[in-house]
Amino acid sequence: MHPILEEFCEKWVWPTMPGALGAEFRLRLTREHCLKGWEISLNRTLAEIDEELANDDEEWKKHRALRGYAAEGVHMSIKQMSGQLLSVDIADQERYIDLQRMRARQIWDECKHSKLHADVLLGKGWIKSEPELMHLAQANAQPLPAYFGMSMMFPHIHPLARAAQNYYQEANACIGIMAYLDRVADPLVRHEHLSQRDEELMHFMEGKFQIDFLCTSPETQRPVEEALGYLLHQIGGISPSPQPSPRARGKGVRGGAEGG
Amino acid sequence: MASLKIDHERCTECRMCYIVCREINLNAVYVALEPLHRIEIDVAKCTYPGCTACLMYCPADGSIVEAETGRSLVPPPPEVWRS
Repeated sequence: MHPILEEFCEKWVWPTMPGALGAEFRLRLTREHCLKGWEISLNRTLAEIDEELANDDEEWKKHRALRGYAAEGVHMSIKQMSGQLLSVDIADQERYIDLQRMRARQIWDECKHSKLHADVLLGKGWIKSEPELMHLAQANAQPLPAYFGMSMMFPHIHPLARAAQNYYQEANACIGIMAYLDRVADPLVRHEHLSQRDEELMHFMEGKFQIDFLCTSPETQRPVEEALGYLLHQIGGISPSPQPSPRARGKGVRGGAEGG
Repeated sequence: MASLKIDHERCTECRMCYIVCREINLNAVYVALEPLHRIEIDVAKCTYPGCTACLMYCPADGSIVEAETGRSLVPPPPEVWRS
């Protein structure tokens, strides 16, 4: 295991509340599926960083900031993440009110993260003001099937399916941030990542909490397994195509994902 | 008896600890209306070291400390969670 991933796991993944009924399930998912995906993602990020640092110019910082603005900016948050609030039926709201609260908080966090990417573009003089980004397709589009409509719901609409996204995908964000902070000295790039660090970790912790506390039966664990299977297949490319449960298929919900 | 407190220089007020403590019906973590609506820990309700739940889900390094020693418990040291 890469030392960065090992540090992340020792600090944030393995510590487990004694008696948490879903913890054994989470740790099994982690060992059998997540670690492989996290290792691949980390190695990809480190290879990208090494390639970027080998360049003489700073163009990569511009492209990365624009890509980050598109991946976790206001547009993404409003178009995709706010739709996730709708996945909790009114009858289930009392049970899952904390999930909705956390989701609302994450939408706000993602909007703030877009400002960090804009800071790089402003600080380097590549744009004069943030509204200029509204006219750049590169700052507003993602190469993902999740860009439009309700496709952010993964192959499942159960409220707990999102726990897989928070646990697996936000860990990738955390590990990526650790990699950048480990390798890159530019103060603006460090600002871009450092200011996100605790919030991405909080999003990961949301997923960890939801699985440990709420995924305590086959019925509540299945949506997490299905959504994780989707993420590993669609994003990681390391899992066979998932087979959504009949309930998800019946609702006609398509898959999708967004950045952390 | 050891007890916990929030280090407000480190805490981001994300309220993960509040949610976790409420989920297990301890409700030792609360929002103190004075002075700044910040998260605090009620030592009369908190059962640390018997319960360490909040420590496992706090994302802000160093934000929950042992009140008597000032020792950081985030991320949780191995002896807090390894049996």
